[in-house]
Amino acid sequence: MDASQVSQVTEMMYALRNPAGVPTYPIIFIGLGVLTFALHILFVQLMLGTSAITLYGAFNSNPYWRRLGAAMLEISKVSVSVAIVIGVAPLLFVQVIYDPHWYTSNVLSAKWVIAFIFILILAYWAMYFYYFQNGKNADKTVTPKSRWSMIVSLALMLVVGFIMHSLTTQILHPELWKEWYMQDGVLDYSGSQLHAYNPWRFAFFISMAIPVAGGMLVTYRRFKSVREDADHDYLNWAADLGKKWIKVGSVISAALYVGWMMNLPETAGDFATSFWGYAGGIAVIFYALWAMIRLKGEARFCSYMALPMALVIGLIVAISREMLRYGILNDFFHYDFMDYKVVMDWYSTGLFFLTFAIVGGSVLAYFLTIAWKTGQTVGVYTPSAAVDKMGTVAIWIMVLWMIQFFVIGFWIWAK
Amino acid sequence: MDLISLYPTWYEPAVGSGWVVALIATFHVLASHTSVGAALLFAYLSHKAYREDRDDLLDFVKKYGLFLLVFTYVAGSITGPGIWYSTTVASPNGIGALIHSFVWKWATEWVFFVIEVVGVYMIVYLVGRVDKKTHMKISVIFGIASLATMVIIVGILSFMMVPGKEIWFEEGGYLNGFYGTNTFIQTGMRMAFMFTMTAVVGGIVVAGIKDVAFKKEMARKLGWLGIISTLIGAAMLQWYLTSVPDQALLVMENRLPDYFVPSIVAVLAGTLAYFIITMLQPKTLVAGFAGFMTITILVAGLWPEETARESMRKPWVAGQYVYSNQVIGRDVPGMDIKSQLPTIEKVGILKAHPFTPDELKEVNDSNLIQTGEYIAMVYCSNCHSPSETGIRPLHRYFPDGVTQARMEKYVKGALTTGNIAYMPKMPMLDSEVKALSAFLVMNNEGGQPAVVAAIKQEVDARNRALAEKQAQDKVASLTLPQEVK
Repeated sequence: MDASQVSQVTEMMYALRNPAGVPTYPIIFIGLGVLTFALHILFVQLMLGTSAITLYGAFNSNPYWRRLGAAMLEISKVSVSVAIVIGVAPLLFVQVIYDPHWYTSNVLSAKWVIAFIFILILAYWAMYFYYFQNGKNADKTVTPKSRWSMIVSLALMLVVGFIMHSLTTQILHPELWKEWYMQDGVLDYSGSQLHAYNPWRFAFFISMAIPVAGGMLVTYRRFKSVREDADHDYLNWAADLGKKWIKVGSVISAALYVGWMMNLPETAGDFATSFWGYAGGIAVIFYALWAMIRLKGEARFCSYMALPMALVIGLIVAISREMLRYGILNDFFHYDFMDYKVVMDWYSTGLFFLTFAIVGGSVLAYFLTIAWKTGQTVGVYTPSAAVDKMGTVAIWIMVLWMIQFFVIGFWIWAK
Repeated sequence: MDLISLYPTWYEPAVGSGWVVALIATFHVLASHTSVGAALLFAYLSHKAYREDRDDLLDFVKKYGLFLLVFTYVAGSITGPGIWYSTTVASPNGIGALIHSFVWKWATEWVFFVIEVVGVYMIVYLVGRVDKKTHMKISVIFGIASLATMVIIVGILSFMMVPGKEIWFEEGGYLNGFYGTNTFIQTGMRMAFMFTMTAVVGGIVVAGIKDVAFKKEMARKLGWLGIISTLIGAAMLQWYLTSVPDQALLVMENRLPDYFVPSIVAVLAGTLAYFIITMLQPKTLVAGFAGFMTITILVAGLWPEETARESMRKPWVAGQYVYSNQVIGRDVPGMDIKSQLPTIEKVGILKAHPFTPDELKEVNDSNLIQTGEYIAMVYCSNCHSPSETGIRPLHRYFPDGVTQARMEKYVKGALTTGNIAYMPKMPMLDSEVKALSAFLVMNNEGGQPAVVAAIKQEVDARNRALAEKQAQDKVASLTLPQEVK
């Protein structure tokens, strides 16, 4: 591309910006976007990995595999929900900062965007169908029914993952948008094509499901081992499997990461050999090394660190991914998200962070404490006075939030 | 260059992109409203179960919760972002306007959404695993979180119709855009109808209760909840209509389909009758009856209501400043937003649109129909499909045999001036008027096949001309060195 062509693309991207601007400094949206993407992709990978275990367990006659498959189905079911709900946040933030790119990419593949919604619903329902067919089996080692539905679920989840991958990849090619819109002299208003993809990048993010699921198995053993009815042979088997998956999976993912870096578009320049180009791959391989060193034997503390470590590694990868996007769009196409018009709104900015920290913090601390303790208790769990108090405080915080919402609202309305 | 923030167009010929949004939104409203109402119902039932030490109520909460988890939380949590996705491809500047004004409000809602999703799993799976007091506390938190998601989103929905306060146009500010009369009345109306939906959908679960006395008790509880909320909701609907702009009422009177009012009245009356019957005769409450009522509310109640709300906003799609065709049609000094109409009037829509291909930037004989179609896609297709079916098809608005001259007169006199109350002002250069008119006439006479064939001819002709020019250039480049020699 010559300078004049680049300049036209730059001008087009700036023209597409929303004239309403953004209500706080753009870097904050990028930061939150990266953080929430890391959380989202962790649960996506957890969902894929535990679904794969469920499926393998369903087709394996080994009773340990069968039990593990049934247990991981519970994780997978919840992980889909959490992945969806957390995925809303990066979806929101990318629209704020990269709206020219996200909206164009979406419109040019509109049918796939709509299909994404229905395929995801079908995938989730297929998983629930499998659960309802087998969830009530007291004996988790019997051959599960309707195994096809779990295959359908996993396959459809990969399809929605690919759609999202393609939409994200299309963002990186503003120079091709007009070519995709007009093909052979005819405008394509149908949005029926996915125009860009990078198999290495897609395979890398999917493959991370292996080490993440490994981290889940290590955590699972640690969490269940304190129960009075714990089967330690089975749990140790699961943890050993998990350790193997972390090590082997991290090596596979690192290899795919290298493949991704070797197949970047020319517009990425020398990103592959830059600091952030290396950082993502090194972080992934570091997970294998960490597991070799810190997960030896019982590893009572570090077993609980397996998933947080996966999150940290995912966060480094997410930063690399964001730096790649910035490198292409800013360094090559001169589109800098940092100069988005700011129409500062302190109230809504402050309200979000306070809600996030105080409401989210207090309620989720209470919820997760209850869930954690219940999972480790045989029979009915009755919280201690301190935990019970956490619940009362959380309720009051929620009530106060609602009161401020209406008090401020009526005050503004009456002014 | 004078470019404005217009994206490519997605054209869905069968039903129209607007109806795709409406279909997803309608389903989401059923799922989300039912869920929020049920969350508050669960808080009440769980509290009662704790006070009276009753297992049957918690068992009901578990069954209804599991039903909701599968049918409304799965589908609802996906169709929620699904509305973003569908509006992104159907109306990118409409959703962009909302996102850029209310990103923090959506982010705040997201916090409650996370609490809600974690909460629903706990409500369902911890029945019998934690003591009743703890379950009650979880239910109360879950109920408030669900309600918070609703009150936040209603403020944004209200902004779509009209910014909370008129002063928002001059001063901007999230609070002025969010809070207003419409916001509060709509919140009340939606809260009422959400309990109606909760009571109807809950009937599906009550139908499965084996214990006759308990079934009677729950049928009565849901019946009273449904009757009271339906009556309040109907009253709030009338009140709501006083809070919308006059323009919206004008559109409602003139543009809504004939079936709208009878359909809403019938579904309200039918819903009341359903609750009375099931209260008096709980044995009539079977899953099929409750399921039928759910579908009835979805098809005959929510669908007309959501499509009416969509239509009433015309010609705007968001905040009374973004037209339904994505053009910004009004200055908003408070947000430093400028109308894009002067730019289009100056350079024409073809040159102002960033995605106009180079071949179509100037209208000429070799691209007349294609540029006409392009303009129709940009300006018209969001509300009028240039196909046989779809949303308000264009061909229905013109008589057979309409001439080019007549069409040009209409386009210039009515569309470029903004003289039709519920349609955007659509500035065009004379050449663009000619192209759009030529397309409309052809679409009217021969439909899509004729348009496709004409565009193919234009493209072929352009390609031939290009090939000839390239050949001539090649000959020139071969002969030039000889001449130099």
